[in-house]
Amino acid sequence: MGLILPRHISRRQLLIGAGLSGAGLLLNGCGTSLGVRQVRQVTEPLNQAIKALLLSQSPVPEFPVSAIEPDKLLINSFNTTPQLDPEQFRLGVGGEVNQPMQLSLADIQALPLTEMVIRHVCVEGWAAIVQWGGVQLQTLAKLVQPKPGARYVYFTSADGYYESWDLASSLHPQTLMVYQKNGQPLSVDNGAPLRLASPIKLGYKQSKWVTQISFENDLRPEQGYWVDRGYEWFAGL
Amino acid sequence: MTASVAKRKPKLPSQALLAKTFHWVNIIALLLMMASGLQIYNANPVFGGRAGWDFPDAVLLGGWLGGGRAWHFAIMWIYSLNLLAYGVYVFVTRRWQHRFASSGDLKALRASQNEKRKNFAKHRLIYTIIVPVLLLAIASGLAMYKPAQLHWLAALFGDWQTLRTVHFMTVPLVLAFSLVHSLLALKVGQLRLVKSMFF
Repeated sequence: MGLILPRHISRRQLLIGAGLSGAGLLLNGCGTSLGVRQVRQVTEPLNQAIKALLLSQSPVPEFPVSAIEPDKLLINSFNTTPQLDPEQFRLGVGGEVNQPMQLSLADIQALPLTEMVIRHVCVEGWAAIVQWGGVQLQTLAKLVQPKPGARYVYFTSADGYYESWDLASSLHPQTLMVYQKNGQPLSVDNGAPLRLASPIKLGYKQSKWVTQISFENDLRPEQGYWVDRGYEWFAGL
Repeated sequence: MTASVAKRKPKLPSQALLAKTFHWVNIIALLLMMASGLQIYNANPVFGGRAGWDFPDAVLLGGWLGGGRAWHFAIMWIYSLNLLAYGVYVFVTRRWQHRFASSGDLKALRASQNEKRKNFAKHRLIYTIIVPVLLLAIASGLAMYKPAQLHWLAALFGDWQTLRTVHFMTVPLVLAFSLVHSLLALKVGQLRLVKSMFF
C-alpha cells in the first residue's frame, strides 16, 4: 500500500480517503463490482468489432427436428406478461422508411413462412434447441423500404421492453418475427402474438410481444432494457 | 582456482525473462478468469440449473452477471494472448524440445533407479500436461462465446451441457495442477526453484 500513496499524504487525508473508499464499497453494494465499467470501456468496443466482423449473411447450420429440446427453453421476463388480443394486435413497422405500415397478425401470417431449428442461447449460460416459425425480418424490410441512412432497428414490446439491433444482423436470413414455436402456435409466455427470434444473438436481444419495429439512423441513449444495465449491446453469437 | 570452485555454493537456478513473465501474467489472468467465470456460473449453475448450488460472493468478481461477463471477456484477451506469446516463444527457441516432457522422461519414470531423475521426469510431465488443459479452456470458452459462427467448434463438444461442463471442469483441473506443479517444483528444486520462476 505504501508504494502507491503520495509521500506527503497526511494522516488526516489518509483517514478521509479510507472513509471515502469504504463508503464507495458500501454504495456499490458489493466491492467486487469495482472496475466493471473500466474494463468494459476498454475491451467491449474491441469485442464488438470482432463480433461484427465475424457476422456473415450465410445461414447458421440448423439442427434436425429430432434434436428439439422442448423442456429446456426457460421463461425469462423483466416485468409482466402482457395479454394481447390477437384480433386487435397490430405490428407497426416504421421509422426511416418509405412505406410505414400497420400489419395485423393475418397480414403477417399471409407472408411466406420460414421455419428454423436453431440453438437459443441465454446470457445466463443455458441453451435450448428450438424450432421457430414466422416471417423473415428482411421480408418486412422489403415491404417498408428503409431509407439509405437507416443503420439500426429498434424493437418495442407491449411490456415496455425495448431493444436495438444493427441493420446487418436484422436482415440476416434467420432473423425472424415468429408466431410459432416447435410447430405449435406461440404461447403467451414465449412472446405471443409475435416475437423476435434468431440464432445469431443472445436471448435478451430477442424481444417478446413486439408491437413496433422502427428503422433508425442512429442509436439513442436507450439501447435496450438490459443493455442499458450493463449487458453487451451487440451480443452476437 | 580449484579451492574457489570447491567453496562455491550450488548455482542458483535462473529462468528466462519470458518464462517468468508468462508465469506472472498467467496466474493473475487465471485467477481473474476463474472469479469472473464463477460469477457467470451463478446466473445458472452448470450443475442443477436454477436450483443448483451457488458459489459464495467471496470468490466472485463482477458483482452480478453483467459485471462478471465484462471482466471475463476482457481478461480472456490477456490470458490467451499471453499463452499465445509463450507458445510462439517455446517453439521459436526450441524450448519445446529440451524443457518439456520427452520420451526420455517417460523411460526414466518406468525404468530409472535414480529417485532425483524420476522426480524431475514427473515434474516435466505434469507441467507439459497442463498445456492442453489451458488450450481446452480457450476452445470450450470460444465455442460457448460464438456458437453460431464457430458452430463446428461447438459441435465437437456434443451437446450444450457437455460443453458447459468441460469449460467449468478446467477450473478444478487448473487448481489441482497448480498445487501438484508447485509441490513437485519444491521437491525438485526447493524454494529457490519456485522463487526463480517469479523473481
